Amino acid sequence: MKKSASFVVGMCVLLAVSSLTGCKSLKKNPAGVSGSDGLYGSDGANGSFAMGNRFTGGTEHPGVFAPIYFDYDSSQVADSERSKIDTVAQDLKQNDAHAVIIEGNCDERGSNEYNLTLGERRAQAIRAYLAGLGIGADRIQTKSYGEEKPANAGHDEAAWAANRRGEFVLYY
Amino acid sequence: MKKCLFLYLCVIFIASSVSAQVRVVKSTDRKITIDLSNLRTAGDPVSQTFLKTLEKDLRLSGWLDPVRGGGEIRVNGTASPSGSDLKAGCQVVRLNDQSTLLSKSYSGQSREVAHRMADDIVEAVTGHKGIASMRIVLVGNRTGKKELYLCDGDGGGARQLTGEGHIAIGPNWGPDGNSIVYTSYMRDFPDICRIDLSRNQRTTLASYGGLNTGAAISPDGKDLALILSKDGNPELYIKNIRSGKLTRLTNSPRAAEASPDWSPDGSQLVYASDQSGTGRPQLYIISREGGTPKRISSRGTENVAPDWGPNGLIACASRLGGQYVIAIIQPSNGQMVYLTSDGADYEDPSWAPDGRHIVAARSVNHQSALYLLDTVSDRPVALLQGSGSWYSPACSP
Repeated sequence: MKKSASFVVGMCVLLAVSSLTGCKSLKKNPAGVSGSDGLYGSDGANGSFAMGNRFTGGTEHPGVFAPIYFDYDSSQVADSERSKIDTVAQDLKQNDAHAVIIEGNCDERGSNEYNLTLGERRAQAIRAYLAGLGIGADRIQTKSYGEEKPANAGHDEAAWAANRRGEFVLYY
Repeated sequence: MKKCLFLYLCVIFIASSVSAQVRVVKSTDRKITIDLSNLRTAGDPVSQTFLKTLEKDLRLSGWLDPVRGGGEIRVNGTASPSGSDLKAGCQVVRLNDQSTLLSKSYSGQSREVAHRMADDIVEAVTGHKGIASMRIVLVGNRTGKKELYLCDGDGGGARQLTGEGHIAIGPNWGPDGNSIVYTSYMRDFPDICRIDLSRNQRTTLASYGGLNTGAAISPDGKDLALILSKDGNPELYIKNIRSGKLTRLTNSPRAAEASPDWSPDGSQLVYASDQSGTGRPQLYIISREGGTPKRISSRGTENVAPDWGPNGLIACASRLGGQYVIAIIQPSNGQMVYLTSDGADYEDPSWAPDGRHIVAARSVNHQSALYLLDTVSDRPVALLQGSGSWYSPACSP
């Protein structure tokens, strides 16, 4: 009895500390870009950005923002791409009614089913970065197309590079 | 059958330890010659379709060599049209002792009668289950959109199953052979749907926020293995179909899981994950109760799209020297052998119910076709090609 009570107190302290450090690490170092911290901050709690239900009642507005490009087999947001996400964050901060759907895409190489999950990880990496900039995770949905929706139908390096991307679809 | 495949696999697994890439050599199994010249058919198209289909089925079984005259086995019988259908009867005799191995009559659509008769003959003569009556579900893009199609075990009788006009991918059979689960973008996001073939009814099984894909129904039909990202990252889950209860099996914030499939007894799952940290997916096995996954793929820079066969062996697509080749893994010891490659990419293998053959998508120059591969001796055979590309085949149980 005593033991379990002190365990509960201990867990509360641990949780409080970890949530504090979690916030701190996110602000200083938005998730999705860091090396050792991985995609979701140092606590590894991927559940902290759990998905809400799908948006209903609004309309999709694609093509408003520039896509984010990725390296081969990677779901890390490159430094060079961050400013594009900052632009999206600005819009979401200025327009409370706006939400965004991030579409994750891959090049054609590799297994179809694995590419679906890789595309989702790319979308989730951008989502985590936006959340790290202070955008509520419930305003960001993801949709992976894997290799099913190429921007460039070619089969060379240039086409592949153009297809490894995350696209923003504004929703309101 | 089991004994033969077991012996064969012993040979190739031993061979695999000495050679870097094992080529499947001709098995010592000799094909049994079967004489079809006493199967009397009329010259009409229905009867001729029947005869051609039967002969191809017997050849595709891998065990038999259809001949005209001579032969160790003789098929006596007749086939004639009955309306648009066919009536047929056969008596299968082993010539060395004049014993009758099969005596049966059939009626129905000509190709279907041929498939049933072929499987009966294969089983009566060799004791092995045939593959002529199996159906294959696969993805085709001839309408400009990816839709599901069905075809027979010989690649014939192809028909479009979905007409969603969006993206329909990743089909798998339910264990009853009467339902198909797949990933559908019909409602704009990737959902898992099921089609009941006898009722021609479509239901949604999973539509959580984010990704819903990789559907595979357990051997007892009660649970659905699936990949969801609803908790913020793609992970492997099991969903009880009746209660809707969801159990999460993996916890890999730095990795993505894909393509789960059940062991034949339903106690374990195999799946692909890039949790090795290399950015390249490998295969892992996990108990259906969860716990620590165990990596089972040992060779190849990437191993994806596992299919756990009724024979207990796992087929997968393995990246070897820049090419995808079909590999077979013995899960108990992780030994891995490669099927012969002809320079094309082979992806998405699925075991046929005979435990001998595998269907896969073979692609050359960005065109993909449906192929039948033999783990014993025969060369790869095209079952369905042209009219766009064909992907992700799965054999009915």
